[in-house]
Amino acid sequence: MILDPLPLPAPSPPPSWYWSLPYAAVALFVATMAALLWLTHRQDAEEQRATLINDVLWMEQNLGFQFERNNSHLTQLGTELLKNAPLTPTTEARLRQALDPESGLIRILWLNGNGDVKGAQPPYTDSHLVGETGGTFPSSSAYRLSRSMGRPVYSDAYAVIENQTQFEVHVPIFEGGRYQGSVVGVYSLNNMISRQVPWWFSERYRVSVDNSLGVEIAAKSRVSPLSGLSYEIPFDPPGHGLTLNVTAYKSEVRWIPLLLMGSLGVLAGAIVWSLWQLRRHMQRRQAAEQALRAEHAFRKAMEDSLNTGMRARDLQGRITYVNPAFCRMVGWSAEELVGLLPPMPYWAPEALERTLTVHEMVLGGHAPPQGIEIRLMRKNGERFDALLIEAPLIDSEGRHIGWMGSMVDVTEQKNAQELARQQQERLQATARLVTMGEMASTLAHELNQPLAAISSYNTGCINMIGNGDMSPRELTGILEKIGKQAQRAGQIIRRVHAFVRRSEPKCEPVDLNAILREAVGLVEPDAERRGVNIHQDLADALPPVAADPVMIEQVAVNLIRNGMDAMADAPRAQRNLQLVTRLQDDMLILSVADRGKGIAPEVAEKLFAPFFTTKEEGMGMGLNICRSIAELHRGRLSFEENPGGGTIFYFSLPVLP
Amino acid sequence: MNPPLAHIVDDDEAIRDALTWLLRTRNVASRAWSSAEEFLAAWQPDFHGCVVLDIRMREMSGLECFDVLLERGNNMPVIFLTGHGDVPMAVGALKKGAFDFLEKPFDDNALVDVVIRAMESDARRTASQEAQATMSSRLAQLTPREIEVMHLVLTGKFNKVIADELNISMRTVEVHRSRVFEKMGVRSAVELAQLLAPGRD
Repeated sequence: MILDPLPLPAPSPPPSWYWSLPYAAVALFVATMAALLWLTHRQDAEEQRATLINDVLWMEQNLGFQFERNNSHLTQLGTELLKNAPLTPTTEARLRQALDPESGLIRILWLNGNGDVKGAQPPYTDSHLVGETGGTFPSSSAYRLSRSMGRPVYSDAYAVIENQTQFEVHVPIFEGGRYQGSVVGVYSLNNMISRQVPWWFSERYRVSVDNSLGVEIAAKSRVSPLSGLSYEIPFDPPGHGLTLNVTAYKSEVRWIPLLLMGSLGVLAGAIVWSLWQLRRHMQRRQAAEQALRAEHAFRKAMEDSLNTGMRARDLQGRITYVNPAFCRMVGWSAEELVGLLPPMPYWAPEALERTLTVHEMVLGGHAPPQGIEIRLMRKNGERFDALLIEAPLIDSEGRHIGWMGSMVDVTEQKNAQELARQQQERLQATARLVTMGEMASTLAHELNQPLAAISSYNTGCINMIGNGDMSPRELTGILEKIGKQAQRAGQIIRRVHAFVRRSEPKCEPVDLNAILREAVGLVEPDAERRGVNIHQDLADALPPVAADPVMIEQVAVNLIRNGMDAMADAPRAQRNLQLVTRLQDDMLILSVADRGKGIAPEVAEKLFAPFFTTKEEGMGMGLNICRSIAELHRGRLSFEENPGGGTIFYFSLPVLP
Repeated sequence: MNPPLAHIVDDDEAIRDALTWLLRTRNVASRAWSSAEEFLAAWQPDFHGCVVLDIRMREMSGLECFDVLLERGNNMPVIFLTGHGDVPMAVGALKKGAFDFLEKPFDDNALVDVVIRAMESDARRTASQEAQATMSSRLAQLTPREIEVMHLVLTGKFNKVIADELNISMRTVEVHRSRVFEKMGVRSAVELAQLLAPGRD
């Protein structure tokens, strides 16, 4: 098959939710990823915060350790510093060591039991002091508290010049249970912050100290942080409402999740877009398929409804497609026919040669556009005539791939034509018969009248003579009357004769062969139908004869028809009719030889008699007329037995002098 | 009363003349008519004899003429003369009551024989018609009582029995009886029975 049938039936259309499924999946995927990312992000923040707290705690601890260490240094130093003796080099060295910038202490004062400053390192000047909220420097409240509590006490922070903030630690010194005095370590908050915070810490955090009013009094950096991630703990010691504020400069940006998120979004978008595109494509394709299917169904219905047989062949002549009408016509099924190569089973064997010629002609592309009539055979052996019209088959790429032929059964049409012709002939014959019958009847009546009168007169005379009372005068009168009636009858006969004489031949010089060919042309369709072969053997250069061409043709047609009738029951191979023309002794002779049954002797006697016939529908006038025509032309009509069986009729005409 | 004649209807003069002469030679009186129209125009109910009718004529055909005669109540036997091919028509005419048909050319004396037979048949029919008419007029003269008596006489009963049945005297029966015989023109009961036999069917 050339037309590959589409898969039928059509697949059922997908439900409406079918197409939203991928979108939902994509949305779900994106949501899951977003949730995952958010979780990661949160975990990150938590982690950062935990790190921050850890760091801050570490920092606080670190500071606490420093304070502890300084306090113990100051305690050790205090014992030596408060001895009322000059400072030993060892003490001085230890003092210097205690004032190491790393320790955070900027000054060490030592007070005696009364709270007076005994000494300071570096030497003490008041100029540093801007003001002390708690009172005097060193802070007397802290001094009193430490003395009474017997342990180090930190003072409130107070601002000094250069926007510095300081605080003090008062360490009471006891010896042998007796208060000796205090050592005061002065811390610069600013130094403390900048020195005590390690580089890696300050790199990540901004460290600042706020006083109890929330005012920032010291900071490691002036740069304000971007991130809101911060932690605040009380700065104790020194206490007094100070808070240590640690703020991360920026939260750590994690690029991978972001990138992941971004690419996920883009990918999801791409998927949705491509899905949408795919869907549009599918819809278009489905619409196209639907249209194609509808078109195919339409074409198939058209083909099936056709009464015209269709069959396609490839360039080698192999059948590739047949429609139902074609199968009905030839009787073979499509399965049996498709794939066959010539000669096809439906080619009538007797017309094989011609069919093959037609086939070659079609494959050569020389088929006539008005079609060719060929004789084909059905599966049951019945013959039929088909009109074949071929057209080249072009595929979708414009290549010539074979031939599409349509076939119409014209047998019935031909039969109808033949039937019409026969009926016409019969009608004419009947009309002739009716006319002749009418004429004969009229003639009979006309002749009957005088004859009946004569007969009556005659009988009357006999009666009279029998009676014996017959006068000669009376008898004469009657006999005269009889004579008159006889004359009347004669006149009627003469009238008929005159009527017949009106159809005299119109003679002109004619070519017998030409007339014969015309006659053969007239009877040829009939001969073909009856399966009679007409052989012509016409002599060359025949001289013209004086004759009525219409009449001569009538004779020829009549003789040929008679010959064909004679062979109606003969076997097909024997149905040969031989026509011969010859010039012989100034006479042209036409002989018509059939191979029929021949003519029986009792029939031969009456053969030319009018109204004698051996045929059911014959009038018995044919040969009679032929002979009349022959005689009108001074010729002859005769017949003899055919040596090979059958009869030969001879029709001779004199050559023009 | 018209004498019985063979009426020859034919449009051919020779035939008419020949047939007339032929019939004369057999002593049959005849009259010739040149067409059906002429004959019908002259026709009267008391025409007697027979009609010899040619089927094929120029104007009105013999068959049409026959139909008209049937309508008018013609009693004469009709003999058709037919040409070749008219036989089925002639047969149809026979079924309608024609006497006979002869196909041309016919045996002339056979025709004359048929004509004579037809005229005899017509004469017989005329005679019986006349007898019927006489009897009817005679019966009409009888009184109801006389008819009653006559019916009883015809059953072959004696006067005495009749008198008993009719409750009249024998004398009266005898008077009625003689009146019946007188009026019917018979002399005996047997004659009376013979006279009434065909009419009593």
